[in-house]
Formats: sequence, C-alpha cells, structure tokens
Amino acid sequence: MTAWIVFRKELTDALRDRRTWIVVLVSSILAGPISLLLLSKFVASVEESVARREVFLAGGAAAPTLANFIQRAGGTVKEAPADFRELVRSGELQNAVVVVPPDFEARLGRGESIRLDVVFDDTSSRSQGPARATLGMLRAFSRELGSQRLLARGVGLQVLSPVDVEEINLAAGKSRGAQLLFLVPWLALLGAVVGAISVAIDVTAGERERGSLEPLLMNPVSTPAIVLGKWAVVAACSAAVVVLTLVGFRGAMVFIPSESLSALMQFGAAESVLFLAMLLPFAAMIAAVNMFAATYGRSHKEAQTYASYLTMLVNFAPVIPLFLSVRDAAWQLYVPAMAQQVVMMRALRGEAVGPADVLVPAAMAIGITMLALGAQARLLRNERIVFSR
Amino acid sequence: MIEVEHLAKHFEARVEGRRARVVAVEDIGFTALDGRITALLGPNGAGKTTTMRVVAGLVRADRGHARVGGVDVASDPHAVRAQLGMLSDARGLYARLTARENVRYYADLRQVPRADGDTRLAMIADLLDMGALLDRRIEGFSTGERMKVALARALIHDPQHLILDEPTNGLDVVSTRALRRLLQHLRAAGKCIVISTHIMQEVEQLADEIVIVAHGRTVARGTAGMIRATAGTATLEDAFVALAYPAHRERAA
Repeated sequence: MTAWIVFRKELTDALRDRRTWIVVLVSSILAGPISLLLLSKFVASVEESVARREVFLAGGAAAPTLANFIQRAGGTVKEAPADFRELVRSGELQNAVVVVPPDFEARLGRGESIRLDVVFDDTSSRSQGPARATLGMLRAFSRELGSQRLLARGVGLQVLSPVDVEEINLAAGKSRGAQLLFLVPWLALLGAVVGAISVAIDVTAGERERGSLEPLLMNPVSTPAIVLGKWAVVAACSAAVVVLTLVGFRGAMVFIPSESLSALMQFGAAESVLFLAMLLPFAAMIAAVNMFAATYGRSHKEAQTYASYLTMLVNFAPVIPLFLSVRDAAWQLYVPAMAQQVVMMRALRGEAVGPADVLVPAAMAIGITMLALGAQARLLRNERIVFSR
Repeated sequence: MIEVEHLAKHFEARVEGRRARVVAVEDIGFTALDGRITALLGPNGAGKTTTMRVVAGLVRADRGHARVGGVDVASDPHAVRAQLGMLSDARGLYARLTARENVRYYADLRQVPRADGDTRLAMIADLLDMGALLDRRIEGFSTGERMKVALARALIHDPQHLILDEPTNGLDVVSTRALRRLLQHLRAAGKCIVISTHIMQEVEQLADEIVIVAHGRTVARGTAGMIRATAGTATLEDAFVALAYPAHRERAA
C-alpha cells in the first residue's frame, strides 16, 4: 500500500520533469534507429565498393589490354585523378590505384615482364576491401598473360598451376559489419543505465537536497516500502528506455531497406523477446544500484559523480571480452553487463542460446537488486544520511 | 502531552579535518501540556532542532527519555509518529507537484480517508488564507507560501501533538499573523504544541510556557513572567540574554 502510494507520487513527479522526457526520447531514438542507420550505411558502402570492383588506373590509356581484361572480369575501369596519391593518403579515395607505365603495351608485345605499382592506404577499414579486390584482379591478369604465353609455346595450363586455389571466405560480406555489431546490445545496455540515472538521483539525492527526506520519514510508514515504491519508478523508467530502444531496433530493421543489414544480424521477434528477457532484470538491477549509489550524494551534483562511475563500469564491462579475445567463457555469465552483452551478441549472430544463458544473468541481476534495496532501506535509517545536507 | 527528561545526544563530525565528538544536547528536559503552546527558546546551535528530532523518533537519544502522549519514543517510534505532526526547518516540498498534491501524498501515506483529508485541507486553507494556492505547483512559491503548504501537510491527519521548528523563519507580517491565528485555533482545540524559535516577540505573543535552552541544556522554564522574575530583569529579552549567555551579563555588569 505504502509502496504503491510512493510509486504513484514519484511517477507523477518524474513525468513532470522535462529531464526525464529528454533522456528517454533522445537515448532511445539515438540508440535505436540512428545507430542502425549508420551501421547499415557503413556495411552497404563497404559491400558496394567491393561489388562494383572499380579499378583505378593512373595512365590507363597506355594499357588497353589491361582495361579490356578488367572489363571482361566484371570490373569497371576508372582513370585516377592526377593528385591520386594525396587523395588516397587523405582517405578521400578509398580504392587502390594502379600506376601503369607508358611503355606497357610495348613491353607486353615483346613478352617482357611489366612492373605495376599499386597505391593504397589500408589504415581505413573501408579501403581494405577495394584494395584486395584490385590486387586480386591484377594477379588474375598476370595469370592469364602467363598462361597465354605458355600456350603460345605449346605448354599445357596444368604445368603453370598445379594447384588451383579458389578463395571461399565464409565471413565474406558480413565480417566487416560484424566488428561493429557489438554496438547493438551495448547501446541497449546503455539505454537501461541512462534511463535510470536522472530519476534515481531525483528520488534519493534530490530528496535529501530539497530537505524532503526528513518530513517523509516522519510519516508512520516502513522504510523498505518507501524504497520499494521509489525503486519501482526508477526501474520502470529504465525499462521504458530499454523497450523504446528495442522498438527502435525493430523499426530500423523493417524500415531501413538494406539487405546488408539483415544479412548482418538476426533481429526478429524471437530476438526481441530474448533481448527483453536479458535487459529487464538488468534494468531492475541498474535502478537499484544507481539509487543506492545516489543516496550517498547530498546533492544532484554529488550523486551525478557517483552515478558516472557506475555508468563507466557498465560501459566498460561488455567491451572487455573484445580485448581479451575470449569467446563465451562460462564465467562471463556471472558478470552483470558482460553477461547480457555476450548472450545478446550470440543471438544476433544467430547462434544457439540456452536456458542457462538467460537464467544465470537474470538470477545475478535479481540477487544484486535485492541486496541494493535492502542496503538502501538501512541507509535511510542512518542519521548521517537523513540529516546531513 | 510531550515529556522530555534529561535528553543527551552527540554526533560524530569532522572538525578541521579531524573526527570529533560534537555534543548537540547535554541535558534538556521539559513538559508540554495539551491545550498549551510551549516555546523552546534558544540561540542557534543550542540543541532545539536535535531535541525535536529525538521527540519525532528520527534520531535516537544517547541518554534520557521522550514520551509523546504517554508513548515512549525509543520503544515505539511508529506509534509516536502516528499522533505527531511536524514542521521541520527544511520545509521539503516537491516543486513539481501542486500544493494539494503535496498534502495529499502525506494524507495517503498516513491513510487519511480522501473525503476527510479534503475537508480538513479546505479548513486549514481557510485559516491560513491559502485557498488560491492549492492547485498551483510549488515551484515559484514564496517562503511564506511554502511554510503554509508544509504546515497544512503536517496537520492533515489532525495530530494531537504538533512540533514546529522555526515556523516564522523568513515570513512576512501577514503570514506570521496567519500562522499565529492557526496556532491559537489549535490550542483552543486542546492540541499540544511545541515551537522552537529565537524570536522574542513571537514567544511573548504566543507561548504559554517558555523553555530556555542554551549549550544543550535547559536553563529556565516557566511563563514569561516567571522567567523575568527569576532573572530579575524588566523584559523577556534581558532575561533571555542573562540566562542563555551568563558570560555576557558578567561583561555587562
């Protein structure tokens, strides 16, 4: 009963706070559609430039045979701009540029070997694909020339290539985007934190700052009930941002017409439900822990500092496996934030997710929630917390 | 009736970077009767606020007892809070809620039936002349308006005992008069009222009983006349200075 009264009041209060709305709307819009839109643009542009197989030639007019080969192989020949070295270095030109010597056809006719310089810069991940494609194209051209010359001398093709190598890259297409895929669950986790922060601070440190905690505790009500009511509001805000973020993801999947994006990740109804099952206990936990930390703050400002440490932890934990390059160790399920990240990534990649993958992180989150709420109820009976302002 | 006997309370605090023991209350005692207004008069830091917090069961005393309506605060703080209304020095209102919502929140927490609460709020609003404020949000309220809302909130469950910490702080003349009118009305209804203050004029106009506290101790108690007689001075202010600041008197003499 008390918890319900507190919940109702704090909810009204939070909904009238413009900060709550800004946080909820901005974070869910930014996290969902905009990030997916950018991700899909990125993947599409990588794939597009590989698919178009544009080969830039500097002085290409001197090599009609090469141009002819490239066109036969399904590529397009482009004349490189005069200042191509500058453009490649600055990243404006993502493709590799083949420098053709002026005596190309003459040497070809004499059966001599020809030197071709390929200029590229592989620091940008987007230029690696086109560069590889150009190099492959040149090797194929070299092979063709060689075999023609051997055939002219009456030597069979199998002498030249006793081993026929065909590249079959399983990660093809998806692989580049997959490096950025971790952003999707990571943003959803962040949404849970961002959704909780401002409300958590307002119902704890805010209550201390404006001196309303003392009169509130003067009412003949139990402290755990007050804590429970406040927590329910914070958890609801956190969960609301999570749900909006997921709706954003789903919307983006439907409305962004990109085959590359749907090839990149699985985010259908089943994945949405799994994400919710992972994120709602996490939201409950982050609400409780945030409130507990913020209670130590005598003002919004002080509580903000404590909350930012917590945010940093949540930001950092999911990224650790990326650095350690461990894939899915069992202990990760016991580390909040990391566990959610790992399991949601697995779902996005279309891998199997078992009941333990959902239940262990959820149990951890609920356990921590109860500990934090209990500790908070005790804090509110602490004279130093209630009266020091 | 509120009875306080030999109360003592200390805090741990940081003084010049070191942990120190700060004695807030050393030996305070008084009895506040029903149908009377009792004033705790003392300089800042004399221990008035701490005493009130002990009576409200918000702070545990190191020594001594406090009883409200015969119930010991230490053994049953819940029962004490149920029959107590308190206006703390921090008014502590919620800025985004209206005056009515602020009062209703506490009425709900105290399980006052909605109809009773509304009738009572209308009556208090009439006495405090704050009817026009009720449905406005607190943000932008003046100090006097905030005090009125906080007072209405403290009275919404019709408590037998009322504790007011520095109620006239920052109030203009009109608001002070409204407050005085309300307290006289409550006294006539047989309520037990304790106010803390350091304003002489207020005490002389309102209080039936005066308790002078200084340095955490009760130094005098009685009516204004009795206190003047004890100190041998013509005015209450002189009596107060003589009793609360003994060193001062020696210097003056």
